[in-house]
Amino acid sequence: MTTLARLITALNRGLFGIAKWLVYAIVLLMLWEVVSRYFLAHPTSWAPELATLIFGPFFLLGGPYLLHLGGHVAVDLLSARATGGLAILLHLVGLALAAAFGLILLWFSLPLVAQSISYGETSYSAWNPVVWPAKAFLPLCAGLLVLQAAADAVFAVKGADAT
Amino acid sequence: QGVTKWRMQALWGGGTTPMRYEEDFCARVAELTGGAFEITPFSGGQIVPSAQAFDAVRGGAFEMMKTFDGYTAGKIPAHGFSSTVPFGFPEADQYEAWFYERDGLALARESYAPAGLTYIAPTVYGEEPIHSRVAIRKIADMDGLKGRFVGLASAVMARFGVSVSPLPTSEVYSALDKGLIDIADRGDIKANYEEGLHEVAPFLILPGVHQPTTATSYVANTRAYEALDDQKKAALAVAAREISGRLRQNIIVSNGEYLAKFEEAGVEILTLDPEDVAEARGRAVEFWAEAATDDLSRRMMDSQVALMKDLRLL
Amino acid sequence: MIESSLVLLFMFTALVAFMLSGAGLAFVLGAIAFISTILLWGPSALIVAVLNTFETMTSESLMAIPLYVLMAAILEKSGIIEALYEAMETWFSRLNGGLAVGTIAICTILAAMTGVVGAAVAAMGILALPSMLARGYHPPLALGAICAGGTLGILIPPSVVTIVYAITAQMSIGQMFAAGIVPGLILAASYSAYVLIRTAINPALAPKPSDVATLPLGVKLAKLKSLTLPAFVVLGVLGSIYAGLATPTEAAAVGVLGAALSALVTRKLTLPMLSEAAGDTLRVTAMILWITIGARAFVSVFAATGGADSLLGFVEGLETSRWVVLGAMVLVLVFLGLFLDEIGIILLCVPVFLPIVKALGFDPLWFGVLFMITAQMAYITPPFGYTLFYLKGVLPPGLGIGQVYRGIVPFFLIQLAVLLLFVVFPGIVTWLPETLLPSLK
Ligand code: NA
Ligand code: NA
Repeated sequence: MTTLARLITALNRGLFGIAKWLVYAIVLLMLWEVVSRYFLAHPTSWAPELATLIFGPFFLLGGPYLLHLGGHVAVDLLSARATGGLAILLHLVGLALAAAFGLILLWFSLPLVAQSISYGETSYSAWNPVVWPAKAFLPLCAGLLVLQAAADAVFAVKGADAT
Repeated sequence: QGVTKWRMQALWGGGTTPMRYEEDFCARVAELTGGAFEITPFSGGQIVPSAQAFDAVRGGAFEMMKTFDGYTAGKIPAHGFSSTVPFGFPEADQYEAWFYERDGLALARESYAPAGLTYIAPTVYGEEPIHSRVAIRKIADMDGLKGRFVGLASAVMARFGVSVSPLPTSEVYSALDKGLIDIADRGDIKANYEEGLHEVAPFLILPGVHQPTTATSYVANTRAYEALDDQKKAALAVAAREISGRLRQNIIVSNGEYLAKFEEAGVEILTLDPEDVAEARGRAVEFWAEAATDDLSRRMMDSQVALMKDLRLL
Repeated sequence: MIESSLVLLFMFTALVAFMLSGAGLAFVLGAIAFISTILLWGPSALIVAVLNTFETMTSESLMAIPLYVLMAAILEKSGIIEALYEAMETWFSRLNGGLAVGTIAICTILAAMTGVVGAAVAAMGILALPSMLARGYHPPLALGAICAGGTLGILIPPSVVTIVYAITAQMSIGQMFAAGIVPGLILAASYSAYVLIRTAINPALAPKPSDVATLPLGVKLAKLKSLTLPAFVVLGVLGSIYAGLATPTEAAAVGVLGAALSALVTRKLTLPMLSEAAGDTLRVTAMILWITIGARAFVSVFAATGGADSLLGFVEGLETSRWVVLGAMVLVLVFLGLFLDEIGIILLCVPVFLPIVKALGFDPLWFGVLFMITAQMAYITPPFGYTLFYLKGVLPPGLGIGQVYRGIVPFFLIQLAVLLLFVVFPGIVTWLPETLLPSLK
């Protein structure tokens, strides 16, 4: 159990470590658009759109590991004062809410992504790329969030930590 | 039998003129059914972003939407032709005639049916203008300009030499203001005046060749639609056709009023030569064909081209 | 109507109760949205949360958040902000609360670069908060200044909220932008005045550094050099917007470039530094955007189930003095601001309120500014104030959200006072847009 939980955490940590570099891709794409529109007088049809397609996967991939870090903002007025069993219980409630949130996003986004693939859905812009690769990150990250919530629940119950 | 209650999300902002007509639509449906069919209207984005309404109605989150088929043209190529065609029908009546007198309505229904959605009827109205920082007296003047267009228009205008930037609607005002772009489309004449585009673009170009005519659509969830009795179905069709005519006429009148306001504000209104536009239409057919990537969209395009030939537009 | 009041009561009570469990706000909002959807709307409507998320994932304006946070993180990690603060300290050391005033000044500059409150608050939380705390500032004062200063971006153009308002209200974005400038500066000046007065009365709240007074003028002038790099970055961002080089979001990328070049100058531009800055950026961005996913789901359910109908209906039905109606509208806005985000409030209220405003003979432009101030109040009031949560995400250990709550009280009261000032003297608001764009009146 604990081993599996540690594997999940390591996976999400790794994805976080990769995803964080995407912000520089967004920066470069936006700068390229400025240069090509203003200095070359010829805006690209793809750079700003590609940047927005990267943006979703970027912040979604950060979510699961952020849960493990306790980085999702919470109101800790009461929970910070709880100790022992009550503290663990409150922690588990929080993880259950995160898991429920992830499950519902996963359950309802999967068919939409499948549909997007089967339609070969494109953005219908001048560049007109297929959009399912970006959309697919929602069920992926929702699923990873559910897994991380389960892993953290294991750590909380067993009193183990992630490494 | 009890009262049927539906929710409908439209694509317009709350408080706008077209949104008032959607409220009228709901009131008219209630009236025609003796109060047995209550549709609650929501403005665009109130429940889901307008471009996502297709999937929301499909999934049953609400029963009906007023949508712009262009939002889903990336899924269903035919929707590029049932929403607005750059250099397409120059008169709204011609476009509406294609729906009702030719096979437009049947083809639109065919496009929605596999998704579990029922196309009820279009609302058809006229052009949206082009706003420009430079004088444009013929189509060729657009060659080499930086512009903002969306959907099929962005591809077609690119073929006429415009460098197209896909800016969000909310950026149009400041992009024109700061000279980020030279020309832009946004909304209809009245909406663009209310947005203040006369403050940032000294020229208004008519006709709006990138969007000479527009159709928005009433679309219902098929399961919900099939559960209606015939009177309620008829009420939807009747109210939709009424709203189409009423909104179009409202826009015709307000276009006149608001063009005067643009002129008062010092904007020069430039009208393109109809022969120049017709010549460009001939070239545009080739670009339409590139967007007609499946059987249904090709049939839709062929059907429109046939009517245009009959009307001597091509 | 009764049903609508129950929806309102249920959603509000559930929000407070779940939040007190200490669960992540994103998941609390999402969970309540899901429960309400199933109970009041039907399970098939759960799809709405996913559809809203697809839109959030490709939002051009929200994309400014990671860019501005990255810019701040690079500036901070290359020691540039620390140097700026030291210079400010040197020059403002005679001033009580000089750093807090400086923070508000920098917030005002950030506000003119972006309308994204989350970016400003998170950036100042990373940059200014440690400096103020290290110098022994009273935490609530420091936190309040950042929260209030961070919201200035709503009123001072460019501003995403103003754009959404102008579009919904069918008003000129340019006029709305012009209308926000003077009120925004008045708010910034009021916050600064409050800090000055408060710390004059109680200097212990903001200790002055002891070693500064003896510095010779030459050293003080030399410290001004530290202004060069930040000024270069700010000019790059503002210049690229106003010279027509870039959209506000693209300008944020220009800001990142400027920050990286500045780091190059201070010889801090290294791969580990860029990696750390990217990590900080993803943590803050993921926090804000996952809350946005939950919040959009919450607002959709609230709108679709008619949660606001009873409140809006009450205002519509009022038959009394126009000032009472105006007061009721402002109260409704402030109340909804307790637990909704401002975009949701605009979508719910503006279509209902604006016809009333016009019918009562009030200037819609002026009402728009009142609206933006209530949106700023919404941003800093618990239980659901975005800035509180953004700031909480970057708080150093040992500081709880209770300190943040205490810190915002005086600033909330200032916002209220300024709001009343504009109600009594509408000319303050309408003068600039009518002077700049007279053709519209
Ligand atoms: Na701003
Ligand atoms: Na609030």
